[in-house]
Parts: sequence; C-alpha cells; structure tokens
Amino acid sequence: MAALELTGLRKEYGEVVANDDVSFAVEPGEVFGYLGPNGAGKTTTIRTVLGFQAPTAGTATVLGADVHDERALIEVKRRVGYLPATPAFDEHVTGWEILDLHASLKGDDRREELLSVFDVPLDRRVREYSTGNKQKLGIVQAFMHDPELVVLDEPTSGLDPLMQQRFNELVRAEKRRGVTVFFSSHVLSEVRQICDRVAILRDGRLVTTERVETLLRRSGKSVRLRAADSISPGAFDFEGVHDLDVRTVETDGSGEPGGGDGTPRESQDGGESTSEAHDGGASSAEANGGGESTPATDADGPVGPTVTECSFTYTGGINPLLDRLGGLDLVDLTVEEAPLEDVFMRFYGGDAAGGADEYGAGRDRGGDDDV
Amino acid sequence: MAPDGTVEATTMFELARYEGRHRVLGALALTAGLGLLAIMDIALYPSMSATVNFDDYLKALPPAVLQAFGITTMSTIQGFLSAELYAFGWVLLLGLYLAYSAAGLVADDVERGRMDVLLSLPVSRSRVVAEKYLSLLVPIAVLNVVTPVVVYVGTQLVGDPIPIADLLAVHALSIPYLLACAGLGLAASVVFDRASVAQRVAMAVLFALFLVQSMVTGTDYAWLGSPAPMRYYDPTAVLVQGEYDLAGAAILLVAALVLVVASQQWFRRRDV
Repeated sequence: MAALELTGLRKEYGEVVANDDVSFAVEPGEVFGYLGPNGAGKTTTIRTVLGFQAPTAGTATVLGADVHDERALIEVKRRVGYLPATPAFDEHVTGWEILDLHASLKGDDRREELLSVFDVPLDRRVREYSTGNKQKLGIVQAFMHDPELVVLDEPTSGLDPLMQQRFNELVRAEKRRGVTVFFSSHVLSEVRQICDRVAILRDGRLVTTERVETLLRRSGKSVRLRAADSISPGAFDFEGVHDLDVRTVETDGSGEPGGGDGTPRESQDGGESTSEAHDGGASSAEANGGGESTPATDADGPVGPTVTECSFTYTGGINPLLDRLGGLDLVDLTVEEAPLEDVFMRFYGGDAAGGADEYGAGRDRGGDDDV
Repeated sequence: MAPDGTVEATTMFELARYEGRHRVLGALALTAGLGLLAIMDIALYPSMSATVNFDDYLKALPPAVLQAFGITTMSTIQGFLSAELYAFGWVLLLGLYLAYSAAGLVADDVERGRMDVLLSLPVSRSRVVAEKYLSLLVPIAVLNVVTPVVVYVGTQLVGDPIPIADLLAVHALSIPYLLACAGLGLAASVVFDRASVAQRVAMAVLFALFLVQSMVTGTDYAWLGSPAPMRYYDPTAVLVQGEYDLAGAAILLVAALVLVVASQQWFRRRDV
C-alpha cells in the first residue's frame, strides 16, 4: 500500500483550476520531493490530501485512508506529521504550551531529541519568535510523535543554512528509520540532496514523476564565464553544451565601455546580474546601431581591452568541462544548478512554451537555487 | 474495549482546556470591570435615591428607552441594579462581548493560518468547533460566580440586601442567554474567513435583534422580536417581580445547541 496516493486529483477555486488530474504514489520509506515553481499548486495538493479542503474531483489516500472519509483520516493523522508552508501558532502562548497541546493529542515520544537539534526558545511566547524559530517549532511538532508519514510544505524556507543542513540530516535519518517523507519545494538543489524521487508540478498539472538522478542528468548546470580575451563560439562546440550565448564586450583604455553604456562595466565589477547586463547591453547596442557590443562574434577587431562573456547550459561531466575551459584566460567562472524554470523550458519545451510568460513573470522561483 | 475507552477518555477536552486556560485572565479582567460597576451602582444608590425621585425621572424618559432596558422602577435597589447592571451590563455588554469572542473562535485561526496545524492533529472538525465554544464557559462561569457574591455582599453593606434567590436566579438564567449569544458568534465564525468580519457581523446582528425587540415590545408587532435572545431573558422580571422565565431559558439553551450543531456541520463541509 502506498503511503500517499493521488488519483486524478482536481481542485478548483471558482474559475481557477489549481490542481488538474494529479496522480502519483509515494511508496513507504521513500523521500519524495514535490517540485514546482511558486504558484504551481503544490500547497493545494498538500492541503487537499490532508483534508483541509475537498477535492473537486478525484481522490487521494493517506496511509490507506481516503480523504473523503473524515473518520478514517482522523485516525491516520496520529501517524502523520505535517509542517505548513508558513507555520502559524497562537501568538500569546509559549512554545511549551503549543507542544504540550500537540503532545496531549498525538504524543511526543521524540520531543526532547528533536529539541536538542532544533533549539526553539520554548519559554518565550510565539509572538516573539522569528520566522526561523516558528519554522523550527513547526518541524519539532511535525516529527515529535514519531509519525510514519511526514508531509512538509517548503520545509527549509526560513531556515538558516546551518538549520537547513540539520533538517537534511534529520530527513536522511528518518528515511533510515523507514519514515516516508513527502515534501514540496521550488528549489531543485534542496530536493536533489535528500530525495529519492520527485514529481514536478507546473500550472497545476503533473509534468513528470521520476528519480532524482534522472532529472538531474537531464536538467544540467548553468555555466557562466568571462574571459580576458576573445573567444569564438566554436570554442564551445562540444558535447553537453546547450543554449550557448557568447558576447564580446569592448572597453576603452580606461576600462569604460566604448559606447558609454554602463552595463559591461557593471559586469566587470560584480557580475551578479550577468544575464541582465547582457540583455541591457545588447539591446542598447542595437538601438544605437553601433557595433561596440556584438553578440557571438569577435570579428570586428577590438579597440581596447576586451572581455568575452559566455553562458550556456551544460549536461555533461564536470571534468571534461574543465579540460575544455582550461586553455582560456578566465576572469570568472560560475557553475550552478540550472534554475527550475530552465529545467522546464529545456525538457518539457512543448508544455513550457505555453507558459513562457508565466515563467518570465516569476524569475525568483528558481533564483535562490544555491542558497 | 476498555483500552480504547481509556485513550478516548484521556483525549477529550484537550482543546477546550487549552483554549479555556487562555481565557482565564481575560475573564478575570472582565469580571473585575463589571464588579466595579456593580460596586459603584450599589454604593451610589442610597445617596442617589435619597436626593433623586427616580419615579419622576423615569416618567421623563422616553418609553422606548425604558422598554429597551426593561426598566420598570428604580425606587428599589433591585430595580436600579436590574436596569443599570443587568439590563445594560449583562444583556447588552456581555451579550455583545460573547458574540464577539465566539466570532473569533474559528475565523481567527482560519485567517491566520493556524487552522491547518490544528486540523493536522487527530481531531475532528466538529470537536474543534465544540471545544472552542466550550472554552467560553470560562468567562461565563467566572462572571456568574464572582459577581453575585459582590452584589450580595455590597447590598448587605449598604443595608439594602437583595433577595438571594432572585440574585442567584438572575445569574443562572443569564447563562443560557450568554450561551445563545455565543452561539450566534460561533455561527458567524464558521461562515466568514476573516475574524474581523465575523465579529462585526455577529455584533451587528445581535444589536439589531436587541433594537427590534426593544421597539416592538408591547406593540402589535411583538412577534418580530421573537428571534432576539433578549426576549427570553429579562433581569427586571427576575429581580423586581420575582418571575423566573424557565421556558425562555430552555428556548435559549435549545437555540444555543442548534447554533453549535449547525456551526459544526457547516465547518465540516467547508474548505478551510
């Protein structure tokens, strides 16, 4: 029996279809990631599965209990832990009182153990808690009754890196104990560290369900580099390179960009917003009709010092990549997980094309990938 | 199944206890306030009644005002207290307070996202609604235990003791009334997602019922006041005439029960 099974789950809010024919099964003992951009409908699925709202069509079972059967669902909730996306507790009571209430209703065999890892200021009133402390209190209550299945909605949001790491360790330890963990995330790098399988949701529809290694192999890495000399696009003509974008940026002797456009200089200084700088530079160059910033060519013959900025998605091994780049005079190199929306764009192109506007509007979705 | 029975017994009323505990301070504060009002009324009455002819004063008031607050006489301390403390303090203020408090019970948790955590616990929605409602017994009990003691001792001290049976009756009969007002608030609380909306609606409805009931009493349209809980609890009748409206109390209890059950059913069926 699956720990969690969804069959054709559909949820409408008025005219809006938040979940459309979502079906998948989470096997016992699995760590299952539910991945998708914000607004894809992940929370809708979770809240429907836990019985907070009724499905418009289809159904789901939690540890064998059907969501339409309130009695059965209540019975299994003793064995289910839940962490909402933004856990909220009574503001005027202390953390102790919250946990005591939860303990009286579902048990607290592992409260102390969890509190030693996630130190929550239990003597203080929740009103005084930071977001991180509320999140930790939420994690403790979700796991303290030693549940068989834990459902976590964006569990690491609000946690600092140390606590994120502790959380990941907790999930791995729970997995070893045979606990099933289902959690949602919009951060691919978070999912890859602890998940066995992922389901990807886009616009309320399930895009795919697959093993995390498979997904990562297909999603690739985002590579950005800047080199002190001119590079022809041919230099990147090797396997695993996709969506190559090469720009040569000429600068005058003082280091200022030739056209007076500030963006290339900005790139040289920091480079955090490399892709935006590219776009700005390119469009302004076109508008001026000038050739000082020419994409994908170095044929014009630079006047001053030149930098070449490249970005591409790479799906091959990291060592071959470094071998290839070894001959270049690099100023900067960034290799990071491809943002989630790029994953969609690349591998679910047909679907993603229809939603391109939506992705453009929500660039933040995968932006904090590596944090 | 004894073990099951035991488990069931140990997991009952946790929510009511938890909610109720956090109502104790508020209940004590409210009781202190109304106790002070009672003490002030009692302390001032002897000197006021010596200098003011209340019956002349009442004749000068518009009949509607007398009607609204059930004032029949102020020439006795019972009549004075029934108007000043009970008709105003209990029927209007406390009625509105309980409707307001009850209106926050569910809607506030839903609005602030706490209901998800609560419903992730192994508790039914009906139980959440019922136990939250029961927590209002804390202020109701504290008010109705402490205040009669204050009033009795106070009237003794000014040498004008109020009949103890009437005093106990006016408080005992106020409990069904307050429960019905709370039931009205609870119904608003499960229907509306925002606590402030639920609270405003509950208080507005209760106050409208109060006004209608005040206006139609003694007219051909008296039946219009029948949905108003104030019709079934009349402190003046208890304290001045010594009449206890037990049927009215029963109606209020049934109304409270109907409102609670309807709220449970509504909340069970809705999306949170």
